[in-house]
Amino acid sequence: MYEVFFRKFNEKVALLPEEEEFLKQYLTPKKLRKKQYLLQDDDVCKYSCFVEQGALRAYLVDEKGDEHITAFALEGWTIADLSSFIRQEPATLNIDALEDCELVLISKSAHDELMLSMPKYETYFRILITDAYLALQQRTTNIISLSSEQRYKVFTQMYQSIFQRVPQHMIASFMGLSPETLSRIRGRISKKK
Amino acid sequence: MSTKKTIAIIGASGNMGSAISKSLSKGNYRLLLCSDGQGKVEAVIADIKNSNPAADVESAECSAQASWEADIIISAVPYAAEKEVAAKIKEVANQKIVISIANPLNETYNGLVTAADTSAAEELQRLLPNSKVIKAFNTTFAADFATPVIDGKQVDAFIAGDDEEALQTVSEVVSVAGFSPIVAGDLSVSRTLENMQLLLIQLGMKYNYNWLAGWKILHN
Ligand SMILES: NC(=O)c1ccc[n+]([C@@H]2O[C@H](COP(=O)([O-])OP(=O)(O)OC[C@H]3O[C@@H](n4cnc5c(N)ncnc54)[C@H](OP(=O)(O)O)[C@@H]3O)[C@@H](O)[C@H]2O)c1
Repeated sequence: MYEVFFRKFNEKVALLPEEEEFLKQYLTPKKLRKKQYLLQDDDVCKYSCFVEQGALRAYLVDEKGDEHITAFALEGWTIADLSSFIRQEPATLNIDALEDCELVLISKSAHDELMLSMPKYETYFRILITDAYLALQQRTTNIISLSSEQRYKVFTQMYQSIFQRVPQHMIASFMGLSPETLSRIRGRISKKK
Repeated sequence: MSTKKTIAIIGASGNMGSAISKSLSKGNYRLLLCSDGQGKVEAVIADIKNSNPAADVESAECSAQASWEADIIISAVPYAAEKEVAAKIKEVANQKIVISIANPLNETYNGLVTAADTSAAEELQRLLPNSKVIKAFNTTFAADFATPVIDGKQVDAFIAGDDEEALQTVSEVVSVAGFSPIVAGDLSVSRTLENMQLLLIQLGMKYNYNWLAGWKILHN
């Protein structure tokens, strides 16, 4: 139930068995079936969500009603509407399951308690946020400086696992491209090979 | 739009379990119904779908699986069965709201089997130390769910527990069921609430209320 969670945690900060037991008290195990929501916009994001098994996406819906995917999460990743989670204000993102999922949730109140009572959790969370920030910075830089074709190549290299599990139109949405543009790019790349 | 919550109802084939399931199926909830004998739960689901085809309700193979999927768990089994149920769901109910509806009545309905310094809810909390046990629905009869307004007054439903956020969430559940929620205090107030139902049962037998009776606080 918590296998991948503790493996990933230990990669960042090593825990003693009794520390694992202490941390376990604060975790919410949760199963979500494909297409079910973890969060719908306007609701407050009450949990940070670690994926033990399965896949989820976060997306926002614009004024025209079009969906834009902002993030994917697979096994070992964490997903949330961070600003809503931290500030406990209504979310702008929706998060739903792309496959049947097994999750480990940490509620905001459990998170707050752990931040105060367990220094190793604070370290874990800092590393998590730092990594996420670096990835975001990379993504922003790519959007500004690379051509769509280069971005597509970077994406396929960095996120191979997502690529194999998620339909093409969602990848297009994540990259900010129309599905038609994405398929033209793929066509050009395969001709060059 | 608020995120749909999943509620597991353990003992869903019983008087209370089926009444609670039926009334909550009107809300923005996904219901997972389980009991010992699966066949009986299917009948409850058929009944719900019959009156509300859009209801999001399913049977679950076992209480542990249902509780793993759930955000809220309702234990609608007899007090004597709660130890067994708690052992099955303990791991997956970690950090979750568990609603205790049990009244620990003795066999002749003239007293409670719990000691004066505890309650069914507190005993359940002891069995599930990392869950948020909330007392609710114990002062309402199963028949009240079909008729939550008696003699022109909306029946009150008392809630007790130690976690503010969980009390708020359960108040919403009680409202959806059609009752007027009143947060009575921390979990130890369950002792009073369980004794209130003992009194109501005794009065009901004495004066023939026919199980359609409830509490209402009169105030200005
Ligand atoms: N009836 C009321 O008006 C009322 C009012 C307030 C509170 N309550 C409380 O609500 C609870 C249920 O009462 P009830 O009148 O609904 O009783 P009931 O009709 O006898 O129903 C009991 C339910 O629990 C299930 N069950 C029994 N033992 C179990 C076990 N070991 N594991 C899993 N499930 C088990 C039964 O399943 P099977 O049918 O498959 O055996 C059934 O679904 C009690 O704690 C009672 O004090 C009742």
